[in-house]
Amino acid sequence: MPKSFDEQKFGLLLILPSFILLGLVALYPILRNLILSFTENDQFIGIKNFILLFQDERFKSSLFNTLLFCLISVPLQLFLGLVFALILQQRFFTRGFVRTSVFLPWALPTAVMAVAWKWIFNDTYGVFNDILLRLQIIKEPLAWLGKPDLAFFCIILAEVWKCTPFVTVILLAGLQSIPPELYEAISVDGANTLQRFRLITLPLLRPFLLVALVFRTIQALGVFDSIWVLTGGGPGGSTEPISLYVYDTVFRYLKFSYGSTMVIFSFILSLIFVFIFYKFWGDRQIEY
Amino acid sequence: MYKLIIITSLMIASSYFSCYPQEKTKITFLGWPDPGGGFEEVISDFEKENPDIDVEMIKGPTSTDTRETMYVTSFLAGEATYDMVFMDIIWVPKFAKQGWLIPLDGWFKEERKEFLPGDIQGSIYQGKIYRVPLQSDAGVLYYRKDLLEKEGFMPPQTWDELIKISQKLQNPPHLWGFVFQGKQYEGLVCNFLEILWSFGGDIFDKKGNLILNSPQGVQALEFMYKLIHTYKITPEGVTTYEEEETRHIFQEGRTIFCRNWPYMWKLTQEENSPVKNKVGIIRIPHKEGKNSFSTLGGWGFGISKFSKNKSACIKFIKYITSYQAQKKLHLKSGIVPTRKALFSDEEILKLNPHYPDLYQILLSAKPRPVHPEYAQISDILKRFIHKVLLGELSPKTALDKAELKIKKVLKE
Repeated sequence: MPKSFDEQKFGLLLILPSFILLGLVALYPILRNLILSFTENDQFIGIKNFILLFQDERFKSSLFNTLLFCLISVPLQLFLGLVFALILQQRFFTRGFVRTSVFLPWALPTAVMAVAWKWIFNDTYGVFNDILLRLQIIKEPLAWLGKPDLAFFCIILAEVWKCTPFVTVILLAGLQSIPPELYEAISVDGANTLQRFRLITLPLLRPFLLVALVFRTIQALGVFDSIWVLTGGGPGGSTEPISLYVYDTVFRYLKFSYGSTMVIFSFILSLIFVFIFYKFWGDRQIEY
Repeated sequence: MYKLIIITSLMIASSYFSCYPQEKTKITFLGWPDPGGGFEEVISDFEKENPDIDVEMIKGPTSTDTRETMYVTSFLAGEATYDMVFMDIIWVPKFAKQGWLIPLDGWFKEERKEFLPGDIQGSIYQGKIYRVPLQSDAGVLYYRKDLLEKEGFMPPQTWDELIKISQKLQNPPHLWGFVFQGKQYEGLVCNFLEILWSFGGDIFDKKGNLILNSPQGVQALEFMYKLIHTYKITPEGVTTYEEEETRHIFQEGRTIFCRNWPYMWKLTQEENSPVKNKVGIIRIPHKEGKNSFSTLGGWGFGISKFSKNKSACIKFIKYITSYQAQKKLHLKSGIVPTRKALFSDEEILKLNPHYPDLYQILLSAKPRPVHPEYAQISDILKRFIHKVLLGELSPKTALDKAELKIKKVLKE
C-alpha cells in the first residue's frame, strides 16, 4: 500500500528531531564514556582500567555495598508498596488524606529528607534515640550512623521510607486498571479473599510490579544523594556505594578515565539486572 | 506588511544600539551565598571606582564540594565561565597541576609579607603562587569558661590537662568532656592532623618523604581512640559529627570542650544562645613537651587560564584583598581577615576581644599537605582513621595499611 508507506516515511520524519535529541543526550555520553574508559590522556590503553578495577579493594567493597543495598531495599519497597496500594485501594473515611500523606515522602527532595534523617539519627539530640530510650528498648544512646551495621540499617530505612510511595503509586494505578467484573465473576465461583488476590490481583499486577522493580533497581544501583548526606560513605567506608566512589574519582581526584571505567561497569550491571527481570518475569502477555 | 517590517527592523536596531555604547569588561566568579552582604557591598564599591568593569558574583551553594565540582566542570569544558576562581586552600595544587590557573608572581610578591604566613604557604605550588588569600581559618579549642572557673581550673595547655579537667567535670551523657569532628570526611583529617602535629608527627617531612607511619603517628591515633573508649570523655557518636553537630552540642551546653573553626564564636554569642558570655577560645592543646598546631583552612582568589579579561581580574583581586575591603567584609559578614594588620585594628578588636588569641593561633597554623594528589591521600587517611575510632583496626595496622595505599597513589 503506497499511501501507508508514505505515511510511514512521514512519520519517521516527524520523530527524527526527537530521535536526534535523544541520541545527543543519551547515546553520546555513553559512547564518550566508553571511549574514555579505554584511553588515558588520549592514548589507547586497552583493558588496563578494567584489570585495575578488579584489583581495587575499595571498588570491590563499594560494589558489595551497592548490591547489598539494592537487594535489601528494593524487595522491601515492593512488599510495603504492595501492602499500601492494597489498603489505599479500599474505600474508607479520610482516604484522600491518607493517600496524600503516604505519597508525601516521594515528593520531598532526597537531600532534604536525608538531612532530616541525619538529625533524627543523631546520638545526642536525635529523636530516634529519645523515643527508644523512653520506650526502654535501648539502655543507652546509640550512635546510629557511627557503626557499620547500624549505619547500613539507617540508610536502608531512609531509602525505603522515601521510595515506597513510588511503588505504591504505580501499583495503585495497576489495581485501578483491573476490571471489577473479574472480581465479581470469581466471587460468584465462590473464591475467598486470598484466592482473589492470588488468582486475579497478583497476575494482573505483574506488568506494574515489573515496572516498579526495574525503576527501583536501576535507581538503587545508582544511589547517591541520601548516602552522601547521611554517612558520606562512612563509617570506615562501610556504606560507600559505587556512585560515591565514581564521584570522588572524577571530580576530586580528576581521574576521568578510571571513573568512566566504573561508570561503564555499573551500566553493564544495570543492563544485566534489567535483562534478567524481563527474561524471567516479563515475557508472558496477559489476556483478559 | 510594510509596517511589520519597519517595526521589526526598528526593534532589532534599537536593541543593537542600546547595548552598544556601554561596552564594559565583565568578570565573574563563583562564590557562596554571601550572608551579611559583605561581598556585594565591596563589589559595588569597586564598580564605582572602576566604571568600565562589571564584576559578577555568582552565588553558589554553601557546600564546598559542590562549588568545586562546578569549577571543575567549567574547566573541563575549557570555558571562561568563571574568570576568577574563589578557592579553598586545598584546591590550589590540584588546579595548578592541571594548568587551569595562571601564576600571580608577577604582581603579588612584595605584599606577601603583609599576609598570614600559612595562607601564603598554602597558596604556593612548585614555587609559584596561584592564590591571593582573602579569608583565613584555623582549628581552635572552645571551652566553657564558667564551668572551668567554678572549679578553679585554668584553660588546658596539654592534652593531659584536658583529659583531667574533663573527667573531673563531665557527667555523660548530659555533659561530655570533649567533642571534635569525627565523621568520615575532610574535617576528620583536619582534626587528625592537629593531633598528629601536636604529638610531633607529620605526614610528609620537609623533603616530601612520607613519614606518617611513625611512633608519633601511632601515638596520635591511639590517643584519638582512647578519648572515646578509655578516657570516655568523648561520645561514641563523634564518628558521625561534622562542624554543625559539634556546635549544637556545645551551644546547648552539653560539652565542656569543643574543637571547631572560628565561625562558631559569633553564633555562640548570639542573644538566644544558652552559652552566651560563657565561652573561651584557646589553641589546640599539645602533648607534654611538644607544640600546638592548627590546621589551616581558608579562601582566596586565583585567575582562570581561560579568562579573556585577566587584567581586570588583577585589578579586582588587588581591591578585594586590600585592608579596607577585608575590613568591610569582616564587619559585614564576619570573615576572618588574612592581613596581619587587621588583627590590631581598633574597630575589629572592639567587636572581637578574642582576636589577639586567634591571631596567635593563625600564626602557628599549618596548611594540609600541599600536594596535587591530596584529595586521594586525604580519602585514604579518613577511611583508616575512622576504622580506628570505631575500634575495627589497631592504630599500628591502620597506619601500615594507609601508608601502603598512599605510597601506591604517589607512585602513579
